[in-house]
Amino acid sequence: MPERLLTRAQLLLLFLVLTAGLASGLALFTSASRIVELLQKASTGIFLPILLSLVAAFLLEPVVSLLERNGLGRSKSIFLVFFLAASTLYLGVQLMNPHWQEMWKSLQSDLPRYIGKGVQLLKDVQANIHDHLPFVSEYDLPGKGKAFANRLIADLFAATTGSALKIGGLVLMVPLFTFFFLRDGQKIIRFSVGLSPNRHYEMVHDLVHLISRQLSHFVRGRILEAIIVGLVVWAGLAQTDIRYAPLLGLFAGITNLVPYLGPLVGMVPGLVIALVDLGMGGQFWWIVVVYLLIAQVIVDNFILIPVLISHFSNLHPLWVVLAIVMGGKLYGVVGMIIGVPVASIIKISLIEIRQYRRTFALPGSSHDLE
Amino acid sequence: MNPLWSNIFRKKPEEESLAYFLGTIPLFSDLKNRDLHFLESIVHQRHYDAGEVIFTEGDPGTGLYLVRSGKVSIYNHDAYGKRCSLVQLVQGDFFGETTLAAPANRAASARTTEQCELIGLFRADMEEISKKYPMIANKILVGLARLLSERLHLAAQQLNKAQAQGPPDQDGEVRKDA
Repeated sequence: MPERLLTRAQLLLLFLVLTAGLASGLALFTSASRIVELLQKASTGIFLPILLSLVAAFLLEPVVSLLERNGLGRSKSIFLVFFLAASTLYLGVQLMNPHWQEMWKSLQSDLPRYIGKGVQLLKDVQANIHDHLPFVSEYDLPGKGKAFANRLIADLFAATTGSALKIGGLVLMVPLFTFFFLRDGQKIIRFSVGLSPNRHYEMVHDLVHLISRQLSHFVRGRILEAIIVGLVVWAGLAQTDIRYAPLLGLFAGITNLVPYLGPLVGMVPGLVIALVDLGMGGQFWWIVVVYLLIAQVIVDNFILIPVLISHFSNLHPLWVVLAIVMGGKLYGVVGMIIGVPVASIIKISLIEIRQYRRTFALPGSSHDLE
Repeated sequence: MNPLWSNIFRKKPEEESLAYFLGTIPLFSDLKNRDLHFLESIVHQRHYDAGEVIFTEGDPGTGLYLVRSGKVSIYNHDAYGKRCSLVQLVQGDFFGETTLAAPANRAASARTTEQCELIGLFRADMEEISKKYPMIANKILVGLARLLSERLHLAAQQLNKAQAQGPPDQDGEVRKDA
């Protein structure tokens, strides 16, 4: 009986099948992880240009629509808008170019000085604390700060001079992606929505529409807000003798994209430079007023945020900090800046879906009421 | 001509195009040929199998469906949960138009009874074109308003008639009191 159970040939077959199964399983597994790895590798440089071109598409969309409404074709309007944007950029760069180069050179020599002075200030503060509260243990705050600042600056210079290729890629890719997002964005969305099953198609279609409307509103609002705050800071600082007012305005505008923490971080370089160059005089306090009172409280909180940003995209400060930390872990400094907007986008999507469920009691949620 | 060549160069007859079909719908009777070709790019073509549910009563409604081919049954459930059919729709009919202009829940359910091709026109797209091409959106919305007001008049007439007849016993008592 037992030898009937499996003949030698069957055993061999079984062995072969098992081996083949095992081998193909292993092959699948390795190739799967290999494919994931390849995909990761292939998509590393693509994230930033896609994000930037999405933002650009959101910004340019109203202008393109305006031209289109006046009877111009979609592609023609996009080309016209591109031409206008490119010539504005070119003119701006031409006007600012000698200025910028000079500024960049002097900044390279000035930066170590500012950092040294900043670290000195930190040391003083710590010594002061130590005098008043002697039980505070000796913590190397100035050393840490200096190391951090040096690393940041090294990153900055490496990013701007070292990888001109990357920037060249951006210059090439962003307009191309923006063009296609502008021209075919609706088609892409329509196609993706069309893949959903018949039963949910209508709801998905409506939700996508609601979410994209909120999103474009949010992105446009945030960018406009950052630009205006940057300009206000620049204009305010230009009233004083401080150097690098345009750069400081740019920095304040970019950091303003991150709520709560951004404006504070955006102030730091301006205040350090003011302290080092101008001392603790009237001008220093004017700069503080410009940063805090004029740019943040009056312009941003009283005028821009109520007009531009709908209140439900606001995040709890806890989420802001989490988003910054997680974004920083994933993509460094860039991640810190875009982490919060991305978190807001997720929140907007969730809220739209929830509101949708509430206004229309969806099937499945309403049956028990009856 | 060689049948092979005639086959290749044969143009799609006008009657088969989606724009032609849309032109036969009373809702779009104001639209010109060019508008209809534009409308073609706005609407959504969906294919349904027999017996598929399109929407059920109480679903969020966001637009109307046109029946291009096949049959659709509209039904609702009575107090005992029994399904009672309201109407059978065939090619050229449309349903769900009350939710195109303003959000509302579906008042009845719809399912296909055979293989169907449905054309969907949704509120989100209408909002989109009313911004970009107000002329076309205007024509569609006027058509919709005309249709809805015709139905409203009809419903009001029927309501009046029903009130005049009234349920025989209760109404009779009320009249005696008065």
